[in-house]
Amino acid sequence: MSQPILSVRGAEKSLGGNPILNGVDLDLYCGQVCAVLGPSGAGKSTLLRMIAGLEALEAGSIVSGGQSWDDGKHLTPAEKRRVGVVFQDYALFPHLTVEKNIAFGLKGHFSKDAVNARVAELTKQTEISALSQSYPHELSGGEQQRVALARALAPRPDIILLDEPFSSLDRRLRADLREQTMKVIREAGAAALIVTHDADEAFETADTLFLMEEGRIIQSGSPAEVYCHPVSISSARLLGDINVAPGRIENHRIETLFGTIKAPDIKDGTAMNLLVRPEALRESETGAEFTVEDIRIRQGRQRIRITASDGTHWIAELPLANPIKKGGILRLALDESAMTLLPAL
Amino acid sequence: MKAPAPGPAVFGSLAALVAAGPILAVAWIAVSAPWGDYLLHLLQTRLPGYVLNTLIVTSTAMILAGGIGTMAGWMIARLDFPGRNIFAWALALPLAVPAYVAAYGWLDLTQAAGPLQTPLREAGLTSLADLLPVVRGPVGAGFVFSVTLYPYVYLIARQAFSEQHPDMQNAARTLGASRWQTLTGITLPLVRPSLAAGLALVAMESIADFGAVAHLGAPTLTVGVVRAWAGAGSVPDAARLAVVLALFAYLAFALERQSRARARYGQTSGGRRQTRRIRLAGGQGIMAVLVCLLPILLGLVFPLGRLLYLALTEPAARGVMDGLNNSLGLASITAILAALLGLGAAYAIRSGTTFGVLSARLAGLGYAAPGAVAAVGALVLFAGLQTLLDSLWGGRFPILLSATAGALVFAYLSRFAAVAIAPAETALAQVTHRLDEAAKTLGAGRRRIAADIHWPLILGGIGIAALMVFVEVMKELPATMILRPFNTDTLAVIAHNYAADERLGQAALPSLIIVLATIPAMILAARSLTRGEER
Repeated sequence: MSQPILSVRGAEKSLGGNPILNGVDLDLYCGQVCAVLGPSGAGKSTLLRMIAGLEALEAGSIVSGGQSWDDGKHLTPAEKRRVGVVFQDYALFPHLTVEKNIAFGLKGHFSKDAVNARVAELTKQTEISALSQSYPHELSGGEQQRVALARALAPRPDIILLDEPFSSLDRRLRADLREQTMKVIREAGAAALIVTHDADEAFETADTLFLMEEGRIIQSGSPAEVYCHPVSISSARLLGDINVAPGRIENHRIETLFGTIKAPDIKDGTAMNLLVRPEALRESETGAEFTVEDIRIRQGRQRIRITASDGTHWIAELPLANPIKKGGILRLALDESAMTLLPAL
Repeated sequence: MKAPAPGPAVFGSLAALVAAGPILAVAWIAVSAPWGDYLLHLLQTRLPGYVLNTLIVTSTAMILAGGIGTMAGWMIARLDFPGRNIFAWALALPLAVPAYVAAYGWLDLTQAAGPLQTPLREAGLTSLADLLPVVRGPVGAGFVFSVTLYPYVYLIARQAFSEQHPDMQNAARTLGASRWQTLTGITLPLVRPSLAAGLALVAMESIADFGAVAHLGAPTLTVGVVRAWAGAGSVPDAARLAVVLALFAYLAFALERQSRARARYGQTSGGRRQTRRIRLAGGQGIMAVLVCLLPILLGLVFPLGRLLYLALTEPAARGVMDGLNNSLGLASITAILAALLGLGAAYAIRSGTTFGVLSARLAGLGYAAPGAVAAVGALVLFAGLQTLLDSLWGGRFPILLSATAGALVFAYLSRFAAVAIAPAETALAQVTHRLDEAAKTLGAGRRRIAADIHWPLILGGIGIAALMVFVEVMKELPATMILRPFNTDTLAVIAHNYAADERLGQAALPSLIIVLATIPAMILAARSLTRGEER
């Protein structure tokens, strides 16, 4: 891959003695969308504000295009960085029309005609041309989000940061707008970083995923890689439900409900956890026996809470095609390519 | 990221100095100056009466204004009826009528020789005429304050009612509460802190008034302060009475602050949804119109109508044009200075530094000090300064500082800085730090942020601040009485002097001009206040 447009190294920040960021490393590349996913309080927004120049690092560095933006001592102010930011509550200027909001970052840098052309281009791209003379309070949430996006993109920044950009929209609108936003961002060719606590959102937007917890990046990689091969139980949980079954290695094998699994490279006697996604379980005549406790429909699939013969509780996700009865017996096998074995801590 | 800027703190402490200075000076002189017989004499004769009158006037005003203001606020926030949009701001207009002006009108209307009683007496119905109440004495003064000051309660109550989350009432209704039970059990208790804040303002203004209570024969502590100064010529005794008066005022002020803090907790978070107003049609609608019309008639139309009649039928007063010039000049200068001071103090609050916030809050204290107290304080301060300059000069320093327009403007600023701080603070509050950040990420420097984001957003608020101070100074009487330079009478002083001589015909014209000069500003301010909530 080419040179990163932005590199964060060992970023540290604390607030009132509590560490908010604890040695964060992160690279952004042009034309690539990254998502930082983590629970609230993980430090995601702080990381974004540091990159934008709205807060200073205590230690570590931020470098962009060979220039130091922040080395813990010298800080390039936000207005000199020209990073586009879509704020969580959009922060639209209430006294300016949509058009003037979008033109704000262009004024003084371009001729009037060039500004008008750029604004027209962006309003068309984000489908808000008809609203250009409206004021922010006259717009719906989705429209405000589009204005915020257009305003951030107007000065053609190399980097665009989005702080929970869809969180205040309803579910249906969120999906539509997400798709449209990502299209516009990809066309712009900038490096994008989206901060979110919504795993679905991260999957649908990101080329690279950063999982963040308690001020650290605990795992990064492509969404599929991170989803299927978590490096810890907590990183697995960030992305969705996970079944965890403890066990111990004997003769380079581990006994599970689903039979014996080989583990040739692990020392005998090591305590392990078997991590299984609900959708890695499938119905099989020869599978392990579970009692069905509860069935819910979620996104067109059945999410089933089950209890194994040893009394442990599991979650399975199966296609809707086979109706399953509460209290009935279900036989399930494990798709071994979609499970992970991790040493227990 | 907070930028350390020295400017706000400087402005904040300046505002604090101007506002708190006179009060501190009053307290100091009250303690340090030698004691004379006057106060002892007063204590044995008039003081208990002053205190009793103060209590009766204030409680009457609070009860009546509370009822009128709450009712009006609830109707505008929750009901829809013909003319509601006009009543929304028109109900605030009696605030443009100084209490003493309303007092002139009401006493003249209801007295034995007035237009209500005379026809009855001429028809031989003397006993019936005797039954008609005369607006006079402490209860009459309380009534006059209630019909001119109820807008304080109305404005705050309306805001509290319309900010209440509609689901609150809906939840009560789904749990089986009747409309009446919902009103008394949910709606009213939730706005109680806000109502208390409005009532405290009514109390503060009633305590501070001089003209109305003097005219209606209900001398309160404020009258005592002015008499100690003007009659006995004793600054220390005036200061000592002023301390007692200030204590009363601060009691009300503390209540207001505390209620406001509680009111903030009372608000629910979450999305703001507009409550759907209950539409009244036909007879109910007409009833609502009449109910809303009544306070405007009582506070504005009846007393001013009477004064207008007097002004047209009686010979005109002299010196009215000069008075108008003096009033306009003083009010304009003070309004501009107060707006600047208010803006500076609001920035100090926004900066979030302990010193900045503390000094700006201190500046807010000045509002609680009645005009008479601020005037005595300014007198003491300027006299002290004069003495200091004289001793440094080694003789009489050429500029006589006290009893100049400067001292008067200083006293006005001390009293009304808080009036300017509040709207400036509200205006600045909508300029969130997020907006600064958004502008920064778009490449705007400090100067451009100030010019293109802050200034246009706060301009309206600063304008309102200046207007409110303008209105207050036009109406102000006690401080002007004490501090006005020789031969410089304002409209308020002219009106008061004629009224004190029982020459109401001559007092009518300057009184009407005061209201005419303040009512456009009041309409503008009231409409901008209501617009914010109608969205």
